[in-house]
Amino acid sequence: MITIHLTINGEPVTAEVRPDEMLVSLIRRRLGLTGTKESCCVGECGACTVILNGKAVKSCVMLAAQCDGKEVVTIEGLQLNGELHPLQRCFVEANAVQCGFCTPGFIMTALAYLSEHPNPTRDEIRSAISGNLCRCTGYEQIIDAIESYVDQTNASA
Amino acid sequence: MNGFDYISAKDLLDALTILDREAGNACPVAGATNVVVKAQSGRLKDKLLVSIDGLNELRGIREEGGFVCIGALTTLAEIAKSELLKEKAYVLWQAAQVFADPVIRNRATIGGNIADASPTSDTAPPLLALNAEVVIQSLRGERTLLLDDFFFNVCKTALEDDELITSVRFRPCETGAFVKLGLRNAMAKTLISAAAIVHLDDEGKVANCTIAMGSVAPRPIRARHAEQAIIGKALTEETLTQMKEAVLIDIDPIESIRASKFYRMNVACTIAERAVRGAIV
Repeated sequence: MITIHLTINGEPVTAEVRPDEMLVSLIRRRLGLTGTKESCCVGECGACTVILNGKAVKSCVMLAAQCDGKEVVTIEGLQLNGELHPLQRCFVEANAVQCGFCTPGFIMTALAYLSEHPNPTRDEIRSAISGNLCRCTGYEQIIDAIESYVDQTNASA
Repeated sequence: MNGFDYISAKDLLDALTILDREAGNACPVAGATNVVVKAQSGRLKDKLLVSIDGLNELRGIREEGGFVCIGALTTLAEIAKSELLKEKAYVLWQAAQVFADPVIRNRATIGGNIADASPTSDTAPPLLALNAEVVIQSLRGERTLLLDDFFFNVCKTALEDDELITSVRFRPCETGAFVKLGLRNAMAKTLISAAAIVHLDDEGKVANCTIAMGSVAPRPIRARHAEQAIIGKALTEETLTQMKEAVLIDIDPIESIRASKFYRMNVACTIAERAVRGAIV
């Protein structure tokens, strides 16, 4: 076993991980943070996307041991005092959720992208989320949700 | 997961020492996007994964002695965002925009993509077109190899067990075009790709050119017959037709679940033509 120290949603965590353990497994099975979804396990679908040191990564192809010393944010880390994050609220309002399985991944990908590109065009949003798959919505509402969050954020800035 | 062991290298010397000591039992891992998938299919059973993720000395893009040098641990996201590469290695910069997807690009490294030596690699054709060299280190010293001499066969390279790719380098080139055909826009395994760099002389004839292709042979290749078909000639419809015929001599694509050999043969000519046309715009 390998001892790693990392920060998850602002909390310091020390964990003993197996050499072949993935970050998604550490997050879900050991820490009980099941908001992060596990689906394809080969980095294709984006359901397991979390933010690692400010960048979106697919936690199913991320070795847990490689997260030593790093900062991880999962979907659970977005709430503030029990309230949804504004981007989560935009997803609800735009009907960007059907089964909801892909939603945490989309939100983490979008947030990491928007932190570096606060004013994207619709096409840029489309391209930014191209690594996340949704089999229900047809993507339009997801793009609407992200767009409306961008508009809200820029209006209040 | 099919079990493997793990160690994190502290620095380059530490990584090289481990690779030397393990004599073939070790596999370097950086972004892990490819290595993990390999491990899941059991291909790394009982191996020692040596994480080189922390080796910051292998990161970054810089100009040095007339070369553009890209550290092996530079991510595809960094390449896709690099203004230096957009200006001085346009063909590689263009390929980085369509490499896997934006999230995978945050972890996938150029050294990993080269070492993996997949025939479908999207960094290999642009790097071959740029006549890139691979810089390799081991405890025995450093050597530099043309990328064209580095690839042997499907996932087989000139890299010895104790060696690590530390960087890739090439002469600056502001022009060129990369064209990729996949079954979808993101996370698409390349069905056919082509990278071309074409320089015209004062009379509009091709002074020199390089054309490289992916997914058309057991390894990424230079399409040398296609190159010869246009060098010294004006790029007329007739010359381009001759070039497309020459492509068929250069390639030997596989029949797979994604596309038939017949389809790939036909499409490869068109993709090569689009890359050449794109390179002279």
